[in-house]
Amino acid sequence: MDGWTGQFLRVNLTSRTFRIETFSEEFAHTWIGGRGFAVKILYDELAPGIDPLGPDNKLVVAVGPISGIPAPNTGKTIVAAKSPATGGYGDGNLGTRVTDQLRKAGYDALIVEGRADRPTLLSIHDDRVEFLPADEVWGKGTMETNDWIYARYGKGVGVLNIGQAGENMVRFAVVRSLEGRSGGRPGMGAVMGSKLLKAIVVKGSKPIPQAFPVAMKELGRDDLRTVHAMDKEAAWSIQGTTGVLPWCNEVAALPVHNFRGTHHPDAWKVDGERVHAARVATYGCPNCTMRCGIGIPDDEGREAEVDYENIGLLGPNLDLFDLPQVAALNYLCDDYGLDTISAGGVLGFYADAIERGAVSGDLRFGDAAGFKKVLGMIARREGQIGNLLAEGTLRAARAFGHGSEDYAMQVKGLEISAYNCKFIPGMALAFGVSPIGAHHKESWIITFEVKQTTRGSYGRDKAQKIVDLQRIRGGLFESIVTCRFPWVELGWGVEHYPTYFNTITGSDWKLEDFWPISDRIYALMKLFWLREYPQTDRSADFPPAAWFDPANADTEGPIAGMHLDREQYDGMLQHYYDIRGYDTRGVPTRATLESLGLGVEAVAAEAYVTLR
Amino acid sequence: MKVTVRLIGGFVYTLGFRERELELPPGTTVAQLLDAIAIDRTRPVIVGRNGWAIDLVEELCEGDRILVSPVFSGG
Ligand code: SF4
Repeated sequence: MDGWTGQFLRVNLTSRTFRIETFSEEFAHTWIGGRGFAVKILYDELAPGIDPLGPDNKLVVAVGPISGIPAPNTGKTIVAAKSPATGGYGDGNLGTRVTDQLRKAGYDALIVEGRADRPTLLSIHDDRVEFLPADEVWGKGTMETNDWIYARYGKGVGVLNIGQAGENMVRFAVVRSLEGRSGGRPGMGAVMGSKLLKAIVVKGSKPIPQAFPVAMKELGRDDLRTVHAMDKEAAWSIQGTTGVLPWCNEVAALPVHNFRGTHHPDAWKVDGERVHAARVATYGCPNCTMRCGIGIPDDEGREAEVDYENIGLLGPNLDLFDLPQVAALNYLCDDYGLDTISAGGVLGFYADAIERGAVSGDLRFGDAAGFKKVLGMIARREGQIGNLLAEGTLRAARAFGHGSEDYAMQVKGLEISAYNCKFIPGMALAFGVSPIGAHHKESWIITFEVKQTTRGSYGRDKAQKIVDLQRIRGGLFESIVTCRFPWVELGWGVEHYPTYFNTITGSDWKLEDFWPISDRIYALMKLFWLREYPQTDRSADFPPAAWFDPANADTEGPIAGMHLDREQYDGMLQHYYDIRGYDTRGVPTRATLESLGLGVEAVAAEAYVTLR
Repeated sequence: MKVTVRLIGGFVYTLGFRERELELPPGTTVAQLLDAIAIDRTRPVIVGRNGWAIDLVEELCEGDRILVSPVFSGG
């Protein structure tokens, strides 16, 4: 089958067995790969209500048809499971050599089941699968674990690993790869830890099946060069994503002091210019010529790889404006294998809860040493507070009480990324309807919102834009599996991706052929959530109360006195449901599911939710 | 009239400054300002006044702080 290996590798850690399974061309064309494969596998195979940290959960590592083929930014892999953070569908992508090695080993997805009886390294070399002891690195950070693996296998292998946070099942532990790549914000690292799976190493030696390999080689090579030249011209990777920080500060969208502030006079101290000036190394994902990972020294001389999200959440959100201090928190998160976004959200929430008297404690905003200490407690689940904060902001807020849930900055249990939407209604909705909890990767609408519409409007155009962006970013890019940055940052047209897809698979698809598939993937993710939470209503798609609270509005600056309006937000949410063909509860209608080819799933869904 | 221009991201390097106060004749539009600082307009640009989007045909006012940024797709 051109474009796909046609095989999944299913591994059971309990029985230490594996099986190679085949899938049909129809399956490939229905779900494409990556997130599409992951949600279909997890929806079909997981029983509702299972413990995401128990042996019944499954970890899916999936790639797409263009993954690993030399062409712009195709080095990403999807990791997915039932999320320990949210209890719903969870996934994330990360740059890793697993991408091409898994395909060269002959698989488009790896499904990991069960639970090992001791710390394990899963080694996959083509058709050979080994369950090796990893006791030596159990309890070690991701940096040391990565070095340990490289020392044994060389640097050419694909590696996924976890740190202490994953081992201790911190609900926002991530999977790590290469020197500084992380993925799977909603606790995919904790799922690995729950299975005593310390690392996965993949090596492959087979060619990736392609319809027109010679044409693709030329096309990929030329396009990699062109994208590189475009990046040089736009000077994007000089600051990479950290260039976003001063923009957020100027438009009052920066998270400051647990999202209570939207801008800060000291923000320039941690912006992209300062990051670039401090640069000691540059990193990137495989097949990328616009490498955006910037290594800077932290306050202990260690090298930390930073980007906008982690600086925003571990810097201004904690009232920290000293770059080496922010880098140190970032380094610790990476080494423990904690998601930097959620870690910054949790630390900010904890400091805020103390400040407001919801809980007693010594931690104060701006206390870098205190934040370092608490991060370690979280990663080790140390003491009552470390153990509670390891559960994430929502669970911690429920334990603290005193109204703290109102300023627990999360949606569906996943902490909000570094965009403060106190007065950015569309982006607030993008967080609200993101299918894995609050994440910016699905639909980053702020640019459109600030540029082309009235910032304070709640129109249907914004809901439509969110759907359009979800189709491209969350559907197309996450299923063919590629990085989104060349598209907007450099203006690399989205039409290039069907060309790659067609050259690799021998198909003749147009861009619009991907939209129904994207919608199908979103509908199935929604059904996954509904099966877990049948009583869910539209309130689950609302952001935290703090953004609607007049008392929380800025007192100065561009959005002084402004806040989100609950009724108007609700109206915009309804536009989103209407466009997607969901009913007033946010449930896909029977007709919508049938039109997306999910008729069988619609019938099954009737067991837990009434379809209209 | 005096306006302040603040550049973001790659523009800092392609144009060689981060922030600059400019003396402009009254009635200068946003588009004229972009031409004056030689922004490459073949690429999409976001222009904001005090945190709010501003159209290319709009006239600048004394004391404006104008933000000129490339488009981003998030961090
Ligand atoms: S632009 Fe950055 S995130 Fe995207 S593939 Fe390149 S290095 Fe990875």
